[in-house]
Amino acid sequence: MSTDAQHQNLRPPWILGNKSLSDVSRDICGIFERKPTALWWIAFLVAASMLAVGSAAMIYQMATGIGTWGLNKTVGWAFDITNFVFWIGIGHAGTLISAILFLLRQKWRTSVNRAAEAMTLFAVMCAGLFPLIHMGRPWLFYWIFPYPNNRGPLWVNFRSPLVWDFFAISTYFIISAGFWYMGLLPDLATIRDRATSKLRRWLAGFFSLGWDGSYRTWVRYESLYMLLAGLATPLVVSVHTIVSWDFATSVIPGWHTTIFPPYFVCGAVFSGFAMVLTLMLIARKVVHLEDYFTHRHVGAMCKIIILTGSLVGLAYLTEFFIAAYSGNPYEQFVFINRAFGPYSWAYWIMVSCNVITPQLLWFKRIRGNLMIVFLLSLVINVGMWFERFVIIVSSLHRDYLPSSWAMYTPSLIEVLTFIGTFGLFFSAFLLFCRFLPMIAMAEVKGVLREGHHAPAPAPAAPVRAAQEVEA
Amino acid sequence: MNPYWKSPTERNPEHSDEFAPGPAPFNRRDFIKAAGFTVFAAALAGCQRAPIGKIIPHDKAPEELIPGTAVHYASVCHGCEAGCGALIKTLDGRPIKLEGLPAHPLSKGGLCAIGQASLLGLYDSLRFQQPILDGQPATWDAVDAAVKSRLNNVRILTRTILSPTTRAMIQQFVDAHAGAKWIEYDPLSSSAIADAHEQTHGTRVLPRYRFDQARVIVSFGADFLGGWISPVEHTAGYAQGRKLDDQTAWHAQFESTTTLTGSNADKRYRLAPGETGAALTQLAARIAQKAGAKFDTAVTGHDLDEASEKLWHARGHSLVVCGEQDVAAQALVNFINDLLGNYGHTLDIAAPSLQKRGDDNALAELARELNDGKVGTLIIAGVNPVYDVALPVGKARYVVCVAQRADETTAKANVVCAETNEFETWSDAEPVSGVVGISQPVIVPRGQTRALIETLAAWLGKPQSAYDIVRGHWQEEISWEKAVHDGFALIERKPVAVKSFDRSVVKSVTAAAGGLTLVGYAKVGLGDGRQAFNPWLQELPDPVSKVTWDNYACVSVGAAAKLGLTEGDVVRIEANGAAVELPVYVQPGQHDDVVAVAIGYGQQMTKRFADVGPKWIQRNPTLGANCMVGVNIAPLLPVGKLVAPGAKLVKTGTRRELASTQTYHYITVPEKLAPAGGLVRPCIQETTLAEYRHDPAAGIHKHHLPKEDLYPPDHKYPGRQWAMVIDLTKCTGCSACVLACQVENNVPVVGRDEVQRRRDMHWMRIDRYYKGDGDDVTVAHQPMLCQHCENAPCEAVCPVLATVHTEEGLNAQAYNRCVGTRYCANNCPYKVRRFNWFNYRHDDPVENLVLNPSVTVRTRGVMEKCSLCVQRIQEATIVAKKDGKLPADGVIQTACQQSCPAQAIVFGDRNDPNSAVAQARKNPRHYLVLEELNVRPAIGYLTLVRDRAGKNHETHKNAG
Repeated sequence: MSTDAQHQNLRPPWILGNKSLSDVSRDICGIFERKPTALWWIAFLVAASMLAVGSAAMIYQMATGIGTWGLNKTVGWAFDITNFVFWIGIGHAGTLISAILFLLRQKWRTSVNRAAEAMTLFAVMCAGLFPLIHMGRPWLFYWIFPYPNNRGPLWVNFRSPLVWDFFAISTYFIISAGFWYMGLLPDLATIRDRATSKLRRWLAGFFSLGWDGSYRTWVRYESLYMLLAGLATPLVVSVHTIVSWDFATSVIPGWHTTIFPPYFVCGAVFSGFAMVLTLMLIARKVVHLEDYFTHRHVGAMCKIIILTGSLVGLAYLTEFFIAAYSGNPYEQFVFINRAFGPYSWAYWIMVSCNVITPQLLWFKRIRGNLMIVFLLSLVINVGMWFERFVIIVSSLHRDYLPSSWAMYTPSLIEVLTFIGTFGLFFSAFLLFCRFLPMIAMAEVKGVLREGHHAPAPAPAAPVRAAQEVEA
Repeated sequence: MNPYWKSPTERNPEHSDEFAPGPAPFNRRDFIKAAGFTVFAAALAGCQRAPIGKIIPHDKAPEELIPGTAVHYASVCHGCEAGCGALIKTLDGRPIKLEGLPAHPLSKGGLCAIGQASLLGLYDSLRFQQPILDGQPATWDAVDAAVKSRLNNVRILTRTILSPTTRAMIQQFVDAHAGAKWIEYDPLSSSAIADAHEQTHGTRVLPRYRFDQARVIVSFGADFLGGWISPVEHTAGYAQGRKLDDQTAWHAQFESTTTLTGSNADKRYRLAPGETGAALTQLAARIAQKAGAKFDTAVTGHDLDEASEKLWHARGHSLVVCGEQDVAAQALVNFINDLLGNYGHTLDIAAPSLQKRGDDNALAELARELNDGKVGTLIIAGVNPVYDVALPVGKARYVVCVAQRADETTAKANVVCAETNEFETWSDAEPVSGVVGISQPVIVPRGQTRALIETLAAWLGKPQSAYDIVRGHWQEEISWEKAVHDGFALIERKPVAVKSFDRSVVKSVTAAAGGLTLVGYAKVGLGDGRQAFNPWLQELPDPVSKVTWDNYACVSVGAAAKLGLTEGDVVRIEANGAAVELPVYVQPGQHDDVVAVAIGYGQQMTKRFADVGPKWIQRNPTLGANCMVGVNIAPLLPVGKLVAPGAKLVKTGTRRELASTQTYHYITVPEKLAPAGGLVRPCIQETTLAEYRHDPAAGIHKHHLPKEDLYPPDHKYPGRQWAMVIDLTKCTGCSACVLACQVENNVPVVGRDEVQRRRDMHWMRIDRYYKGDGDDVTVAHQPMLCQHCENAPCEAVCPVLATVHTEEGLNAQAYNRCVGTRYCANNCPYKVRRFNWFNYRHDDPVENLVLNPSVTVRTRGVMEKCSLCVQRIQEATIVAKKDGKLPADGVIQTACQQSCPAQAIVFGDRNDPNSAVAQARKNPRHYLVLEELNVRPAIGYLTLVRDRAGKNHETHKNAG
């Protein structure tokens, strides 16, 4: 026991409150087994209204034309692709937490991985919307799928990064969804076992794929989980790399940059962690997950934010250096214009939000103040949206021929569409909180100190499930 | 169940109840039905107008006519009174494009934007379809009877009538009615030039200016490339005179506004409008001194030494022109030209121009008569004097208008005689003495209209068709068949009685009082405004300001700084006892004491544009607060003049943003944002004449391009490879190509709001760049269109292969494959791709008749851009293939190339070493825009060579 005590001193527990296994099931399942609170209803109604407004804007845009956006002959992408990259980036934290941190045996991930994966799915849904609706003729979107068709020998252009995008995003969505669902299986079984209503019991039972909690099930589950984590790991890098190629393979100064893939991936992880923090800090307070999502979790995530934020800052500097070093006057102009031209306000918002803000997290006292961390995470989200806006709009609006230089201002429809994607994201997330465990119970149970000092081990859900199957 | 019968006899009619006419039971219900049907059918039939002619031409097709194959008719352009030759392309009986007539002795194959756009007037659905008597549609018989009974004390008011037949007819009409008078006036008057010649040469003529003969051109405010007298003829001559050889013409422009002509000058001087006379006096004094002639003013300091030196040096081959409506100043111009011996060389008064015959004095006299109530019947034909000069037409006892569409004047007329459109009738033109154009109808007239000559003939009691009248007129003088075929004929010109130069009338002129002056000018797109109803012209960017759809108050950079004005500030301009409110446009290069405003705006007929452009929630109206396009400034200007001294300008505090197709104006990047050495963008590569003579490749930016690519070339061009070369030295920026492209390729009109959102659709645009600071600027024009790159950035990024390379080197756009990601447009370094943001206006079925059926009308959501007129390439190739050949070089002409008055565009197969384009690509002046990107454009440019000071070149050196 003395070694245990030492051990305990060396490694403080990730989950506070001296939880037993059944405490975990009760705490986490309790969130959605209770009736929804007024707060949830208000939040859901707001989110659903945003979604409704955004949908109306999208329908109007599709019925009338892309002209209802603020784009012009010089700036052909702006809000649409900014939002696309923004949402795709948000998603990256989920995959990183669930796959890479799993492979690296980072135990703290267990408290956030479920919510982060759900966030990934919803963010990718929001992101995927934009390539679709930004088309001039969205009803022909399926023309970018390469499949045997009867439209003559028409095939897609495999040289186009937009086709790569299609593959990257669809792969990403499928893998993320599969990974998320696979991770849910033991928890679904727990829900099934705790269910009091027939419907819930039947649904959870159906979707838990007959989980029996046996040793063999666990072994297979864990090997599959490991494999999927291995499969998802390259996606963390590949998706945003390919998204960055949308820009990097072009000839537009400010886009045509080899640094884009790592720069975009860092930015994506950066923004994704900020978004996970935003969501989890709210959830922590609202559904009382203080014991599960602790200061230590926040601290670990803040450290990743410091790292990725600094890498993003380094990328900003590198871009400027390369522009100066290249001797290419077009390239040089784009960067000077970014910092001091008509969109300099956006540039400086980006720099102050993304480079300066995360440096505050070096201080433990700031990391310890969750209110400040929450505010900083919002600031980073804003900054990362502006990063994409700056890259897209400030490069396009003044490129080679001064005769074509133009300004871009978003239209009402564009702003409403963007708000609509937030509506979609939060509606989906709130529904997720209502119907599924926000925290991966099975995994959290694995990092409890169960068996070390708990006086009487509570019957663990998987065990009970196994008994039921036997019965 | 009728059984088949085997023989007629077997078929017993008695057994056949089907065909048996049984007793018809006609009951009450059937009666009501039948009666209802009959009444309804009769009512329907009664609603229709009785057929008045064949509405489907070629019901029985003429033998030589092949459906779908265009027929070109040589004719005359009626866009203004320059009388250029035109080729009318008709397809299946409807004219769809107006082009230049290559063989024409004046226009030499070019045609300006206004001329080409005049075709849309034919398809104007708001044109009068029948005569109107006292506000009600009437028959011609009723109208003729009404007019004929009131033909006393007649005044006929027309603009310059180019047609000798019409002139003869009007004269006959005037002769037949005692006390009748005929007055001609021009909204863009050149009356003072004619008046000055009456004083100095004893005959009221307008000389024909031969810019092709001039080696030194000094112009005082005459925008001869833009809207002055005969711009196409002048541009053709100017381009010829400025050919880069030992005798390249030198051009100095003294002007108060920044005109298109001034933007092309080698040397441009800013001159206050009141100083023109004084400057001419000084020039005259200098020339007189050199010529040893007497002149009443001594030489004093002025910026005229270089100009006078060059003029004197090139005497006999120099030319001084002046756009000022001031007889004394024009007399000085005559004096200078006479001293220089230019008459007979660069000014032709033996075969004078007949393009401007308006007489401002006669117009003033008519106004007096009207005010005194002395006019009985006022017949106004083809002009809008109520708008142009606020003529009090209501004071005539009876007002008869011969017009095609409703305007301010027809609103006050007792009778409106619906005039036949010029494309629907026979007519003729004699723009320059001895050059006669024959204009033939190319479509069946729509509605019950009559040409002016037919109307006058009817009122003279000898009704005749226009064909008979015109043909009858020329019976003796020309070979009719040939003239109709050629579109023109050269006839014996009438001798002009010229007296020897009378120097006694030439007086020196002193400078007028300074202060702010309002200067009216004609926009290159709209001219005097007679085609204000024409959406193509309203949307044509002004070649200098690049603003569409409005007129505006141009102030210089200096004046704007002094008055605290920025672009879009609405100012109130007061002059001549009237006031207007207009947004400001800051125009570099203008004189500080000038506020310049385009005429021809604010017309009633522009109210039709209320609905132009796409409809959506955040749209802004095209029309201004007055429900019209622009504001009429005619009340602020003295009659016949475009200059109003003593103007006042007050900032109102409101704003109206202008719809401009180019919002950044300089060739340089903003100085505070410029990287070291990268201030100038080398898209315009220019040099001075001296440098060019030293080294023809001067001014070219050399780039280190890879000798070999890592990858083998994507495309081999085994057959033809299309290319184009545009000579920036020849190009004046007149924008004829922009309109030609629009007509040829069904480019939609999008309206003011869309242009303001930077969504203009023109496939061909002309980039205009200023270089220099403040108002000390030089100007360059650069036609910019799809560059048809060999390594096209757009092609690589399209996910659905909607834009691909053809084996003949065209960058082709497949509209029906496009899904509209706009990636191609983003990735285009030249930003020449145009996106259909909405379904653009094609809702007028009459106007749609002008669409070119060879070119797809694009729907919303697809990208489009220049195709190098692929339909023309195909058409010519198919024709040539019948003979087993390829079309010869020069047979295929793109629309922009065809109409270019300066012939600055060469197009052809660069794989044919003898083709003009292959030769042009070998020209040392040839360069590619953004060559350093290695996208390998098929469109090349020849350097801009101006005889400007070395300053420009130095700037470039620094930049390079």
